[in-house]
Amino acid sequence: MTDDAPPSPPPLRLAEPGGDAARPQDEELPEDVIARVSDLLDGALPAAERAEVERLIASDATWRRAHAELTETRNFLSGLQKAHAPVSFADGVTETIHQRSAGRLFAKRTLGDRVPLGALLVIALAALVVIGYVLWSSPTGSLKVDRPRSPQGSQGSAAVLP
Amino acid sequence: MAELERTLLRRLRDRDERAFRELIDQHRDRVYNITYRMLGNRAEAEDVAQEVFIAVFKTIDTFREESKFSTWLYRVTVNHCKNRIKYLARRHERDRDPLDETSHETNGAVAAPRGHVAPDRALEGAQLEGLLQDAIAQLEDDQRIVVVLRDVEDLSIEEICEITGLPDGTVKSRLHRARLVLRKRLQRHV
Repeated sequence: MTDDAPPSPPPLRLAEPGGDAARPQDEELPEDVIARVSDLLDGALPAAERAEVERLIASDATWRRAHAELTETRNFLSGLQKAHAPVSFADGVTETIHQRSAGRLFAKRTLGDRVPLGALLVIALAALVVIGYVLWSSPTGSLKVDRPRSPQGSQGSAAVLP
Repeated sequence: MAELERTLLRRLRDRDERAFRELIDQHRDRVYNITYRMLGNRAEAEDVAQEVFIAVFKTIDTFREESKFSTWLYRVTVNHCKNRIKYLARRHERDRDPLDETSHETNGAVAAPRGHVAPDRALEGAQLEGLLQDAIAQLEDDQRIVVVLRDVEDLSIEEICEITGLPDGTVKSRLHRARLVLRKRLQRHV
């Protein structure tokens, strides 16, 4: 059976006749027995098949041994103490994020998210009013201002001319 | 999906730092337990668990809510563990922290047993814990994933299929083989 191939259910069968004494504890258990008992423990067997496996466990020493050993293995595993993350774990993670992203990841928001939209509108409106006033009060109608001509400059020019 | 979880996800997508801390508080122990059982080393486990949460926060927009959030989180966890195992294998640093076998009660990282435990029973427990962790560590990576998710974390076969992306038959097959190997290894000692 390849590892990635779904196991095809083998026909259920009794192990060879004989009591527990005939089977030393280090004797290999058939892989199909392990597979069926494993499925039973996972609740992965259809009702009819489950009843059959339970009957075999009750009547056959090999099946009974497989059931006892797998149950024990599973109990050991599920009884492993739960490892808990260190108390400072959350601080460590958020600190790492802050360091790596220079604070941008948590603050990855648009300007509109950070500054209220109303405030932005008021500022924009105020800017428009100021610009409008400057333009309105300008004699030229623009921000460009005409500089007055120097009278001396004009006389000097006339003197040079013939 | 529960309304509370939806709200939390929405806040996470809005990059709410407090929501992120809530998420960590809810799932950190389980994620850490998986990474620890997969890697067998506390420092590596903590580092990978941190990377898992960082990846979740960065890629939360890609979670389509087609599965439970926890399933998605464990998928990210398993993938990070696989990557770290490969990385460590390349660096020949797969030796487990020798202190981990006996320091469960002293370093505070693992919950102390409930109630009073006689010293000899505590030693037995610590030895068994070490034996089990060794036995798990020696499993093939693919077998270790399914046995940790099923027998240590008590997830259903269906959930493991979703997390690993493997068909039902493959998960069961790997589980059988893993239990077979563990049974043999434990039989020598227990």
